[in-house]
Amino acid sequence: MVKIKKENKKKSISYAKWGYLFILPFFVVYAIFTLYPQLLTIYNSFFEYYRDGLNVVGPNFVGLANYKALFTVNSSGYIPLFKFLGNTVWLWTIGAIPQFVIAMMLALFFTSTRLNIKGQQFFKTVIYMPNLIMASAFSMLFFALFSQVGPVNQLLMSWGVLDKAFNFLGVRVTVQGLIGLMNFLMWFGNTTILLMAGIQGIDESLFESARLDGSSSTQVFFNITMPLLMPIFIYVFITSMIGGIQMFDVPQVLTNGIGTPNNTSMTLIMYLNTFLGVSKNYGMAGAVSVLLFIITAILSTVVFKTINKK
Amino acid sequence: MKKLLSAILAVLMVVSLAACSKPADPTPAAEEGKVLNIWTWNEEFWGFLGKYYADEVVDATTLKKGDVTIKRTTYPSDGGAYQDALDEALLNQANAAPDEKVDLFLAEADYILKYTNSEATMDVKSIGVTDFSNTYKYTVEAASDAKGVVKGVSFQCCPAAVIYRRSIAKDVLGTDDPAAVQEAMADWDKFNALAEQCKAKGYYMISTTNATYRVFSNNVTSPWVVDGKLNIDANIEKWMDQSEEFVKNGYTHYTSNIWGAEATEDMFGEGKALCYFGPAWYFNFSMTNAQDKEKGSFGDWAICQGPQAFFWGGTWILAATGTDNPTMVADIMNTFINNEEVCEKLVRDEAQFSNNQVINNKLATDSTYGSAFLGGQNDVAVFAELAKNIKFQNITQYDQLCNEGLQKYFTEYLDGQVATREDAINNFKDYIKTTYPSLTVE
Repeated sequence: MVKIKKENKKKSISYAKWGYLFILPFFVVYAIFTLYPQLLTIYNSFFEYYRDGLNVVGPNFVGLANYKALFTVNSSGYIPLFKFLGNTVWLWTIGAIPQFVIAMMLALFFTSTRLNIKGQQFFKTVIYMPNLIMASAFSMLFFALFSQVGPVNQLLMSWGVLDKAFNFLGVRVTVQGLIGLMNFLMWFGNTTILLMAGIQGIDESLFESARLDGSSSTQVFFNITMPLLMPIFIYVFITSMIGGIQMFDVPQVLTNGIGTPNNTSMTLIMYLNTFLGVSKNYGMAGAVSVLLFIITAILSTVVFKTINKK
Repeated sequence: MKKLLSAILAVLMVVSLAACSKPADPTPAAEEGKVLNIWTWNEEFWGFLGKYYADEVVDATTLKKGDVTIKRTTYPSDGGAYQDALDEALLNQANAAPDEKVDLFLAEADYILKYTNSEATMDVKSIGVTDFSNTYKYTVEAASDAKGVVKGVSFQCCPAAVIYRRSIAKDVLGTDDPAAVQEAMADWDKFNALAEQCKAKGYYMISTTNATYRVFSNNVTSPWVVDGKLNIDANIEKWMDQSEEFVKNGYTHYTSNIWGAEATEDMFGEGKALCYFGPAWYFNFSMTNAQDKEKGSFGDWAICQGPQAFFWGGTWILAATGTDNPTMVADIMNTFINNEEVCEKLVRDEAQFSNNQVINNKLATDSTYGSAFLGGQNDVAVFAELAKNIKFQNITQYDQLCNEGLQKYFTEYLDGQVATREDAINNFKDYIKTTYPSLTVE
């Protein structure tokens, strides 16, 4: 402290360099592990570059040919990129709607001074728990539970609900439902805790005065909680959406990597992963990644603008 | 310093290898590695290595032989994961430290060509594996490159048969005698008729439609890829016809993957499926539910040729170029094809069908030999007969994912989730197109 005081006497000494020094590690790590691979991906997307057996083909510059190939109709008569984007958005939606509704309700209950729930710490830990399990392990668990000889089928048959094992993992509705359920279970705890933090950040006196003025709970929610929670809510929503677009491990494990049935559970990243399998097709995979990046950027901007308008 | 030393050692090794180009006399290189790395996708061969080759089993992934440590690296086979990881390691072989190099790796018939036809595998005759006189010819052909240079050996020969449940056969046919059962399913028409009889008695002919897939895919007249184009053989279409009919008529219990819980559950005592299809490794290694004496079907099995002869897989051990343990690599290979004591134990104790004709023929005629799992039947006698006809043909490096993919996508059609058979085939074609950019798919 003494030393600092001494230096303070000298005029116009800049401490900014220390600041820069302290944030330097982040930028170095970012440049090496994020920026460089990103640029490399974009670069690779203009090349024919894959393996045929153990022989490497390329890299040969092919311009936009990879992008053109992505927008070509396949043998089944559709453009895979659009279909899989649709699947991804749908799979995210069916998990995200219950996730936000339940998380918001729980966050309100936990923060309500009128309810004053006891043992909050315990409940918070429990609802967060599923998030600690690796997504692929969670998916593997469901795969075993819902197989035709798994415990779910056995229970349903012994209760007489079913007379023959049901192929949960082969039918569209149940496969998609299970993916949505897993994503919901894994993420609602996380969302609850973030929303709670947001609600707790709102000045308590606002709630009190509203109550004194005789406003109902609904009025409090829509006129005080929600508007003031907006920045946090947008953050949670956009991160969830970005996570949703990158959905991979849950459907990959549950459907053996092929998005059963009839490619209805195939997400964009699973599609990308097929390119990266045996043939290590960096060109096509790069093109998918670049498009995914653009789609994510557009969606995030749109969401941010529309929600933030008011 | 260490790097310099290992570089010198590496140079010395290359020199010493080059020096001993006489195949018959593989002078043990003065300095061979202290670690032998072996890559596998399961524990079958690893188990034999521990029992019949190594001096000491240290733990699940480490063995000791003399002062050399043998280490295992394992990736699952499904979806090509093993090949992906192995390719990565082999392409990096030149830069890897001597003790990190792949020395020996396992490969299956479905993709062995990819490795034998590349620089990643080496001529095993040059390191001292020269005597193939007792092995089955197809196992040597399969491990050879286009010019006929042998790159590895197999420790097993894989003619396949129908593995049927004796108790169900007795109930349906009134006999469980292999000759009589064979007569009842001697061709596909008889097989279908027997399926109807099974259904009438409340049994299933097969546990899953995928069980018969390998019989058809092994009897194709054209390979999966012809002149760089994906080709679906007429025999694969026949399998689709059969599967469709079996599902429609209720001859099959499931439509699932043969490795899945559904198909293996039917191997329990109360299982209702009559037939499984596979070679010796299938019933000794993959039918664990049936092998488990606690679970009620051990000894209730027997084998017969079935409607159509076929072979399935087989595991080859290939020598990786750049190995720092050439002497031991050669020694392991020689042990599993030419050491009669080891080969006999593989048959007697492990229910393998070995790759040594002398031993197989000896046991085939040995009236005291019989498999307890097969209710005392001499399986070697059946397989020795079937092994004579194996031809290694119509095989490409793309087979694993073509075979897996076709079954997966066609199963969706069988499950009623894809409207037409053509849609299922189109899904399969799209998958192959995405997986293998070098192939033309029409």
